[in-house]
Amino acid sequence: MPASLHLDLVPLLPELVLTVAALLLLVLGAARERVRAAGIVAPLTVLALLVAAALAGVLDRTPQTLLGGHFRFDAMAAFLKVLVFLGVAASLLLGSSYVEDERIDRFELPLLALFSALGMGLMVSAESLLGLYMALELQSLPLYVMAAFQRDQLRSTEAGLKYFVLGALASGMLLYGCSLIYGFTGTLSFTTLAQSFGPGSPAGVPTGAVVGLVFVIAGLAFKLAAVPFHMWTPDVYEGAPTSVTAFLAAAPKVAAVGLTLRLLMGPMADWVGQWQQVVALVALASMVLGALAGLVQTNIKRLMAYSGIANVGFALVGVAAGTREGVEAALVYVAIYLAMTLGAFGCILAMRRQGTYVERIDELAGLSTRQPLLAAALAIFMFSLAGIPPLAGFFGKYFVFFAAVKAGLVWLAIAGVLASVVAAYYYLRIVKLAYFDPPAEPFEPPSGPGLRLVTGLAAILVAGFVVLPGPLFDAAAGAAASLGPPAPTAPVR
Amino acid sequence: MSAELFLFWLMGAVTVASAVMVISAKNPVHSVLFLILCFFNAAGLFVLIGAEFLAMVLVVVYVGAVAVLFMFVVMMLDINFVRLREGFIEYLPVGALVGLVLLAELVLVAGTWAMREPTTPAAPALAEAVDNTRALGRLLYTEHFLVFQIAGLVLLVAIVGAIALTLRERVGVKRQDVARQVHRRPSETLVLERVEPGKGV
Amino acid sequence: MGELFTSTIWPLTVLVFQILAIVVPLLLAVAYLTYAERKVIAAMQLRQGPMVVGPYGLLQPLADGLKLFVKETVIPTGANKVVFVLAPMVTFILALIGWAVIPFGDGIVLADINVGVLYLFAVSSLGVYGIIMAGWASNSRYAFLGALRSSAQMVSYEIAIGLIIISVLISAGSLNLSAIVRAQAEQGWYVFWHFPMFMIFLVSILAETNRHPFDLPEDESSLVTGYNVEYSSMTFALFFLGEYANMILMSAIASVLFLGGWLPPFDVWPFTWIPGPLWLILKICLVLFVFIWARATLPRYRYDQLMRLGWKVLLPLSLAWVVLTAGVVLAFDLAPSAAG
Repeated sequence: MPASLHLDLVPLLPELVLTVAALLLLVLGAARERVRAAGIVAPLTVLALLVAAALAGVLDRTPQTLLGGHFRFDAMAAFLKVLVFLGVAASLLLGSSYVEDERIDRFELPLLALFSALGMGLMVSAESLLGLYMALELQSLPLYVMAAFQRDQLRSTEAGLKYFVLGALASGMLLYGCSLIYGFTGTLSFTTLAQSFGPGSPAGVPTGAVVGLVFVIAGLAFKLAAVPFHMWTPDVYEGAPTSVTAFLAAAPKVAAVGLTLRLLMGPMADWVGQWQQVVALVALASMVLGALAGLVQTNIKRLMAYSGIANVGFALVGVAAGTREGVEAALVYVAIYLAMTLGAFGCILAMRRQGTYVERIDELAGLSTRQPLLAAALAIFMFSLAGIPPLAGFFGKYFVFFAAVKAGLVWLAIAGVLASVVAAYYYLRIVKLAYFDPPAEPFEPPSGPGLRLVTGLAAILVAGFVVLPGPLFDAAAGAAASLGPPAPTAPVR
Repeated sequence: MSAELFLFWLMGAVTVASAVMVISAKNPVHSVLFLILCFFNAAGLFVLIGAEFLAMVLVVVYVGAVAVLFMFVVMMLDINFVRLREGFIEYLPVGALVGLVLLAELVLVAGTWAMREPTTPAAPALAEAVDNTRALGRLLYTEHFLVFQIAGLVLLVAIVGAIALTLRERVGVKRQDVARQVHRRPSETLVLERVEPGKGV
Repeated sequence: MGELFTSTIWPLTVLVFQILAIVVPLLLAVAYLTYAERKVIAAMQLRQGPMVVGPYGLLQPLADGLKLFVKETVIPTGANKVVFVLAPMVTFILALIGWAVIPFGDGIVLADINVGVLYLFAVSSLGVYGIIMAGWASNSRYAFLGALRSSAQMVSYEIAIGLIIISVLISAGSLNLSAIVRAQAEQGWYVFWHFPMFMIFLVSILAETNRHPFDLPEDESSLVTGYNVEYSSMTFALFFLGEYANMILMSAIASVLFLGGWLPPFDVWPFTWIPGPLWLILKICLVLFVFIWARATLPRYRYDQLMRLGWKVLLPLSLAWVVLTAGVVLAFDLAPSAAG
């Protein structure tokens, strides 16, 4: 038995908790009557996610690679896992009343989210190409099903099918890229890749492996919904049940950015010359398209899709910098993005009139006179997404642009600033609608304690970030620092 | 020409030919049958290179299970496949381009692989001679254990997802409950009455 | 030329004769299996069975074969001709090629391959193709329904069979059939260690070969004999031969996996005197008797009951047994050595 195979499972604890919870809840859900099962499974899922997040937060962060070198736990993994698990839990809480109203409160929905969260946890800990691919699949497969969960509605099934087909294509590209990298370097392990092709190694980077890397980036860009692999996003966001859209928009993006960082800044850190242009172009295209296409949207879910595309572009600016500051900025950005998005979707999920949910942007007209609290929260998130100081979104953007400038990508930073100015138009339009337009019929008050809790919390975080930014910056800095040279352990072949 | 070489060319040729037939056959059921032929010959090629376990698993999994379900679906579908094919010529240039790019990359890979300098060691041979079933088992259950387990979870998710999307619980359907049938006692259902002649119950 | 002869032609000739040495007795066995079936069922029902053609009706199978042989082959107009003709051939060939790996004695085996069990499993899982092709190509509702029933049934019970095989090979530590028999020489027959699995295996092979009480694909009262309703003459004969050859193959697998293959029941004189292949044949006959016995005794299952039995009873049981076997082997360190 190889020496690397010590069965120290402690760093895997968050994932183990999620796995065991998922299996138990599956049995519990199947054994119960369907209607009552959901009422038990959903809260327990949230509980399991919170426990996992807490565990990920308190575990020892000394970088270690285990289980045959497919899994790595370090400060970066811990940081992202806490974010991802909290994000999933929050989006489940957000959607709890929506799924009841729309009659999709079957126990499989939280369960699939749990499996997806497990996949995300493994993604941000991936330390080999094989681990990367499998974790990505485990994360995306539940998403396809969740998008189609309103199975009696054409829009939802169409969204699920579209997402599935394009997602399978992207997985194929990713896998093809992985196999090229494996073929040219003879290793699956990030550790070995970094050691064999790092600075001072006699062999340069094989051309074929670079081609493979481009394929992998293309696959990841799909999962991130970055241009030019964004086409599915608006349709899926619009068609999927809103609670699922909130889920899709939040945690998976964080995990995908984390995985991209782990791949590009880990084993490929020394190949930065090879991938920087690609990532920079993807970032540029995403920011510009997200900003421009968002201008003409009338459906708020589609608007959030383009907003998500633009935001991924901003996060990728940090990645493209290829420096430790860039990583730090990207991590800070995704953390803030998570809070903003969840909050914004909280407001969207509160748009309910006479028992049905509405999605048109102009339905928000005059919100402030009817529901001042909701309008205030919405304004906070929109200002933050637009990048208005002193809200959190401003700091996120500021740091990624700063990192890009320091890395010499001045043009990218300028383009990013311009794009966010354009995008500010549609965010501010929503605020204008809510505050200055003649009021439409009132919404019903936001139902469900989960929705109110998460939206309120997100609003406080986004607005109050400026008061206490230290902890997030410290955590992100620690996480970015842990992406250095990998801990020497026996590698996978 | 040795027998192995002859078999290699034979099975290789049939594999490629049947793969072409899969996409060019008019009748979709014939396509599936050619697909099965293709799998078979691929399994034969596996046997030739000494990977007998993979060969058998290919037959069991792909031919014995996956292709059967394919066949089910294709036989039951009433799709006009000729109409589906209408855009074929239109998209041919794009498809050919993608195919060419992939081919070029494969050639690149193969070429560099053949000419490469030994930079990283390939997977070292196992110390003892073991058959490839055992070797695969060892790898799957030791080094790649985590990935193997994740693969299991992915399959579980697929099951859960398929059931969640398709299962509809119908109400008012009578179902057989075997346990109830077994536990039923005569005393619960039968009453013995002594009926006087000419009176009825 | 001489080299070509010794390197290629001579081994090929030997191989052909070896194959014939298996196939010809097998076909005879199939013929007399039908005779045995009729006689045994007759005896169970206090009848005499075939008595007319030859002494005790011994020539009856040959007469039946001749009758099928001289009839006209009818191909329905709406049928897909190639597939229609291909289907019985597939069934028949698949029933024969499985025999390549069955060990008749220590070293008496056509192909002693490392993955023999998997090979058999693969061959038996392919059996469904002949039926599904026949059902589809006939272009007839009854035939198609029969084919659908049959494929669903075979796919379902294959899973249980696969899991049972896994229990056996955990105990034997090898996928090679000869090695599995040799392991039984050391450890005792697996019918004792894995008795519940043996019973499940018997049930599953009844379903796998579409035999009573699981012969729903050929259910004459609801499907007018199902997938082979449009077949006549030789094409029908091939299906018939294939089905019975499959029964014998499955019995052989059961004998090799559970009943110690060519091993005598006791390793003492009068038993060791009888050669191994004969023991195997006796064991095959025993299992075949169970097939016939079941046909004479049991009423046909309802289709939903059949599916319930396969998925909800046999599958969990055999899965649990795999876990149990693996656990016991691990706990008591019984894992067989790496040999083979």
